Amino acid sequence: MTTATNLQKVPFAKRYLTFTGFVLFALVLVLALSAVMRPSILVDTLVTGGMWALMAGGLALVFGVMNVPNFAHGEFFMIGSLVAFTVFSPIQDTVLSDPANTGVLKMFGPFPGMILAALVGFVCGVLLEVVLFRPLRKRSRDQWVMNTFLLTAGVSVVLVNGDRLVFGNDYRGISRYWDVHPIVILGQPVSVDRAMVFVIAMAVIAVFALFLQKTRIGRAMRAVSQDETGAQMAGIALNRIFVLTMGLSCGLAALAGGALLFMYPNFPDVGVQPLYLAWYVVILAGLGNVQGAIIGAFIVALLQTLAVTFVGLGWVDVLPTAFIIVILLFKPSGLFGSEVKGVWEQ
Amino acid sequence: MLQLTGVEAGYDLLQVLWGVDLHVEEGEFVALLGPNGAGKTTTLRTIAGFVPPLKGSITFRGQPVNGVQPHKVSTLGIGYVSENLNLFPAMSIYENLLVGAYTIRDKARIKATIDLVFELFPRLLERRDQLAGTLSGGERKMLAIGRGLMPSPSLLLVDEPSLGLAPMATLTAFEALKALNKRGVTILLVEQNVNTTLHLVDRAYVLEQGKIVLEGTGAELLGNTHVQEAYLGI
Repeated sequence: MTTATNLQKVPFAKRYLTFTGFVLFALVLVLALSAVMRPSILVDTLVTGGMWALMAGGLALVFGVMNVPNFAHGEFFMIGSLVAFTVFSPIQDTVLSDPANTGVLKMFGPFPGMILAALVGFVCGVLLEVVLFRPLRKRSRDQWVMNTFLLTAGVSVVLVNGDRLVFGNDYRGISRYWDVHPIVILGQPVSVDRAMVFVIAMAVIAVFALFLQKTRIGRAMRAVSQDETGAQMAGIALNRIFVLTMGLSCGLAALAGGALLFMYPNFPDVGVQPLYLAWYVVILAGLGNVQGAIIGAFIVALLQTLAVTFVGLGWVDVLPTAFIIVILLFKPSGLFGSEVKGVWEQ
Repeated sequence: MLQLTGVEAGYDLLQVLWGVDLHVEEGEFVALLGPNGAGKTTTLRTIAGFVPPLKGSITFRGQPVNGVQPHKVSTLGIGYVSENLNLFPAMSIYENLLVGAYTIRDKARIKATIDLVFELFPRLLERRDQLAGTLSGGERKMLAIGRGLMPSPSLLLVDEPSLGLAPMATLTAFEALKALNKRGVTILLVEQNVNTTLHLVDRAYVLEQGKIVLEGTGAELLGNTHVQEAYLGI
């Protein structure tokens, strides 16, 4: 017993005085300092971070479980915002036409669009797996990562231009979901939309994390990401897990698109920026690491907010990318290493 | 219980098995011996569904298992402990066992089987929450066997438990297998450690160049001149 317990006790210094620990400490310090100077930085970081976490968490999950670098992830964001817009516009019109008698609709009106966006995203993800990845997997698993990269890049082009063809090259946006006065947090007015986005993101991420950690199916997903053969030996049907993984990941991206409709109006290319941001996060955190991606999302959000607040809007992508380059110089496997190793690394 | 008739199998252009006939009866402890590259691992992989057979038939309790997908083979009651173990490195011992019980829905039964595994390998209980990737070679073998036991298989296929283990750890693994067999689990064991194995098992086959060349009880094979010359160095 003694040896077992001694082995588990890693000294404090070794566990926390790592490169990652140092970087995280520095970032928390920066966040705390800037929050004291300008509370808006804290609020902005949390709101945008929550949404990037939804995007990046799904991207990391798909890469971890299926070894698919999904470059069509942004298009599910686009699909989500399209669905949310289509559902929410008539609801908004009803509310505007008769503001006095539609109190309930005013309060809960935004939710059907977001929920439907997530569902449509889920279905599209399932289709992507069944129609494209499954036949490819049957034919050959050689060069899988490269082939799926090309496949998803192609899907992205098709979806962007399909959207342009069917719905036109227009901006379809709303000014706000909840037409009420901003609430005040830390002496800072925050629109209800942004506060709700944060609450939704946190709730979904918490459920998602619990699902992965504690449920039978979530455990099976992690098992597949760590060893496909071992998972099959345990009686796990890979195809079912792949379908569910792709569906969940795309559902989360579509939910993000739906919830952020007031900031990102729907147009064919709307998914491009969220896609690159999600990739920044995933590369920063370590490929395929879902928990790392959630923390990484807040780091990227903080850097973006700092860039916007102190340097200028044009620098919004420069600061995160520069930071990622520096991190990768010191830790090539990403900030949170690669606790989960996919088949592609073995 | 398990019957292989004229099984031929291989990978792409390389055929490894050239007509393997073997059978394992209920409650038996059978070993499959042979030199490197004879096709021992391929035989187990073919039974477990990871290699589709080109010819021949595999039946388990009268049901055909040819070309059945690996995850379905496991639900039929065939457990497989592979050579490289295929553990989930970033999961704790306990979680590895839980995943092993994926096909079991009855929580009480899962708990009872986990208790049984911990009773068989007390070492695993000591390290219940340690990540599988940080375990020693012997502990990893124990965990792989334990995970294989989680769905309570009636037949356990074990591939070279002695591979890369110190003599003491090998002995522990063999003793555990013997104890399991006494509890009623049928075992088909692949081994290179011929002497120890023949003393342990009821019956054994010798596989050479993809064909069964010898068959007999442990004692018979220990007395066989071919086995003595080729494998025991007598």
